[in-house]
Amino acid sequence: MHSDIAGGPIGEVVVGLTDVRKEYSDSVALDGVSLEIRAGEAVAVMGPSGSGKSTLLNLVAGLDRPTSGSVAVHGEDLGRLSETGLALFRRRRIGMVFQFFNLLDDLPALDNVALAAQLTGTKAPQARRRALELLDELGVAGRRDTYPAQLSGGERQRVAVARALVNRPALLLADEPTGALDSRSGEQVMDLLLDLNQIGQTLLLVTHDQRLATRCASRVVEVVDGRIARESAVARS
Amino acid sequence: MNAVWRVARAAVRRRMLQTVVIGVVVWVSAATVVMALGLLASSAAPFDRAHDEQRGAHLAAVFDSSAVDRLAGTSGRAGVEAAAGPYALAGVEAADGGGFGVAGELTAVGRADPAGAVDRVTVWSGRWVGGPGEIVLNLPPGAPVAPGRVVDLAGGGSVTVVGLAFSVSQTADAWVTPEQATAWGSTASQMLYRLVDHATAADISRGEASVSTGLPLLGTQSYLAVKQRFSQEAGVYVPFLTVFGALGLAVAVLSVANLVSGAVVAGYRHIGVLKALGYTPNQVMAVYLVMVTAPAVVGTALGVCTGDLVGGPLVRDAVEGFGVADTGVPWWVDLAVLVGMPALVAVVALLPALRARRQPAAAAISAGSRPGARRAPRVQRALSGTRLPRSVSLGLGVPFARPARSALTAAAVVLGVATVTLAVGVTLSVTAFRDAANPTRANQVDVMAAVPGGTPADGPDDPLSELAPRLGDAQDEAVLRAAPGVLGVVASSQQLVRLVGGNETHVVRFYRGDASAVRPRVWAGAWPARGGEVAVSAKFLTQTGLALGDTTTLEQRGKRVPVRIVGVVLENVTGSVLGTWETLESLLPGSRATAYQVTLDPDADRDAFARAVAAGDPGIRVTPPRGGTSSQAVVIISTATLLTLLLGGIAALGVFNTVVLNTRERRRDLGVLKSVGMTPRQVTSMVVTSMAGLGLVGGLIGLPLGMVVHRVVVHAAAPINSPDLLLSVVPDLLLSVYDAPTLVLLPLAGVGIAVLGALVPARRAARMTIAAALRSE
Ligand SMILES: Nc1ncnc2c1ncn2[C@@H]1O[C@H](COP(=O)(O)OP(=O)(O)O)[C@@H](O)[C@H]1O
Ligand SMILES: [Mg+2]
Repeated sequence: MHSDIAGGPIGEVVVGLTDVRKEYSDSVALDGVSLEIRAGEAVAVMGPSGSGKSTLLNLVAGLDRPTSGSVAVHGEDLGRLSETGLALFRRRRIGMVFQFFNLLDDLPALDNVALAAQLTGTKAPQARRRALELLDELGVAGRRDTYPAQLSGGERQRVAVARALVNRPALLLADEPTGALDSRSGEQVMDLLLDLNQIGQTLLLVTHDQRLATRCASRVVEVVDGRIARESAVARS
Repeated sequence: MNAVWRVARAAVRRRMLQTVVIGVVVWVSAATVVMALGLLASSAAPFDRAHDEQRGAHLAAVFDSSAVDRLAGTSGRAGVEAAAGPYALAGVEAADGGGFGVAGELTAVGRADPAGAVDRVTVWSGRWVGGPGEIVLNLPPGAPVAPGRVVDLAGGGSVTVVGLAFSVSQTADAWVTPEQATAWGSTASQMLYRLVDHATAADISRGEASVSTGLPLLGTQSYLAVKQRFSQEAGVYVPFLTVFGALGLAVAVLSVANLVSGAVVAGYRHIGVLKALGYTPNQVMAVYLVMVTAPAVVGTALGVCTGDLVGGPLVRDAVEGFGVADTGVPWWVDLAVLVGMPALVAVVALLPALRARRQPAAAAISAGSRPGARRAPRVQRALSGTRLPRSVSLGLGVPFARPARSALTAAAVVLGVATVTLAVGVTLSVTAFRDAANPTRANQVDVMAAVPGGTPADGPDDPLSELAPRLGDAQDEAVLRAAPGVLGVVASSQQLVRLVGGNETHVVRFYRGDASAVRPRVWAGAWPARGGEVAVSAKFLTQTGLALGDTTTLEQRGKRVPVRIVGVVLENVTGSVLGTWETLESLLPGSRATAYQVTLDPDADRDAFARAVAAGDPGIRVTPPRGGTSSQAVVIISTATLLTLLLGGIAALGVFNTVVLNTRERRRDLGVLKSVGMTPRQVTSMVVTSMAGLGLVGGLIGLPLGMVVHRVVVHAAAPINSPDLLLSVVPDLLLSVYDAPTLVLLPLAGVGIAVLGALVPARRAARMTIAAALRSE
């Protein structure tokens, strides 16, 4: 694996959630959650469906704002940032991988990846070169001109991971990255995430797959009904 | 900006359907607007422009020459800005009717100079008169006449046409030197005035009162009447096109709004992904603005070209004869549409784009598309309780899932149906008007007996040129009465007559005996019962500014007969003034009939009748029954048809787009339905039903709307300007054109538009494989 994926020296706090509460019009998704994630860690959030895992991830990504409490990433209080500020924060600091890939259907695989680099001001030729490197490392370089609709689920998720990594994010967020994949593709994505963490990539991972959690994560946080029910360190298998 | 451009360009290219639909809708709308605006602009402006350039007369007054010495002094009277004259006025007539290339007796004005304080006549060919025996004709530039011709006069002698000139205020038919006018025995003098206040007819009347006090006034002509006459052709189109232009614009705005907000809703997840990637809110908005504005710019450019191509000839027709060189749609209309249309689209797009800007990313990404999830089931449950087929009840529920989109779609259908209703109504009204004004009476024939007074023969091929009755008027009438199958004969004489003070000749038809079987219907007042009474067309009143009950003076070969207007008839081809034989006797004593309208027994043998007429007097001619539609009616009906197709098409495209979006969003639902055994035919019928329901609702609302607009348009286009005549002269006939079958069929037009738009995407959805449907995100 390459060695240029960013990650601070282990120990520095990357994510800090303090007494975070998130309400929707008809429900409370998170209720008094505090959590700290340090650089180099791989944290898996687990819990039953509807317990608030995705909500937690979205708050960390600055895709949503808490009703109360604060979210800080790399020492920056997201609550102080405007929408535009959040967008700029996302493009530089965060890489995201979703259960259902969320690639842009209008663009072929390579452009999906390169676009994210262009957003941070990288010139188009460099962006494409970097995107191609990543696709190559993830084994989907041969599909670079294919549109997402024609890719298999595993291929789509690898393109999505490449897109998430293209700006060397401080934090990689993954929301059930294997949830929509067959077991073999899921296995490969798991290996990929593990490799990334081992070379220093900080990782926040939502899953309800016990195997994924124990294999990739150094710490497991269990969420039930919007509260952290249990935290445990993992001796990786 | 690079990243914005990249994504927007990909969306424009990859969502070809959406791009093309937006482009086409804008294209058609822009073309409609260019045509409508072009006609509107050209219908009034050229006259005012030309009138100002020439310092045209607001009031042309004719006085008896006895007061000629006092006329110049009227220039100082109240309200007069400038005056010119007095000019001696004389009638002049060519020995053969068409010697001047224009019909009948001309009013020649003695003027030494085409310039002056008022009415600076443009000499556009040849030169101004310089001596006796010379004449300059008043013709609009471009008239197919060349100077140089020598014309023999009816009273002996001859004149040479030395030039052609044009007076926008139409102060004369021709000009000669003052000495020449006097030599021809002028008894009247013309004064031309520019008035300080001249905006309304009342202003002109005040000016007239001011300049004529204490003077023997014979007649006047207001520039407003001249303007009305010039704008008249366009005048009928204007209300009609204004309404169609407005409808086109409304349909366009609605469709674009629907299209663009549809694009945003369809892009719900797309927007979420862009935001997750780090697109700022403004960048997201920019993506969506570029996505719709780009095809709109292309559509507008095409639309302006199309509008110019189609509208140009229409505009040229409308301004023909103004004497101004107008070459088509004014440039500023093109410019306004080129700038305005994309701006309009951008503004319409702004609202949903702002929504895209504000949209929280988290919900968009995880929720995908599930809005309305709460509303649909309740309606759906209610519908499935009915006895409708399952696919139909499912289909009817679809619009409730997206109420805003359904409302916009329905609104486009409403306007589409309103347009169809209006177009049908206008066509029926135009037809009804024509039939009423010029009824086709199957058992009547016209027999031509002489060249109508002043009508030039069109050359040796003209059948009229051989008309030369061998018998006298009374004997000809006797021959006709004796012919087989004849029930009645009415003699008439058609003459070109002028009104004292005006320069326009009017076609006047005089009837001998009881004309009730052959004359047009009287809408207001009564049919003339005695000499000195006339009925006139409604248009005549607008042209002259006269009203029912007024008295005016007919003039022919120096003879003047005052007549009172006692009735109003609809416009018709037999003439704009209708009178009795006694009036003709006072005007042209000893005239013979120029035509006989013969009523035949319905079973009569027409050939036998024609043979008997030919045997009795070979110099009179049985004419074939009159038929055909006036060119104006043709233009209105074809414009109505064209615009109906265009606007109906835009509405159908709106439905098309809605169905494309609906089926795309419900792809997974459709897949599920098919996986549990719904046949493609059921899927098609479900999707089509969903839109047919909307179409019916749209039709039921659009019908009354179209009928109201029709009423407004007919009132505005009716050739009447006097409010008290409005109700009596715009008869029910023109308004009550919708009969029961039409009223039932028109709302179905809404269903038709909806089904037309829905069918293609519905069948596409039906053919989609289950695997593809379920696989899609
Ligand atoms: N955009 C939203 N609007 C309203 N409620 C929401 C929204 N997103 C999530 N929720 C609710 O918040 C709770 C937690 O949801 P989520 O974080 O998606 O759970 P998980 O990812 O653990 O399955 C659920 O009850 C869900 O219905
Ligand atoms: Mg979730």
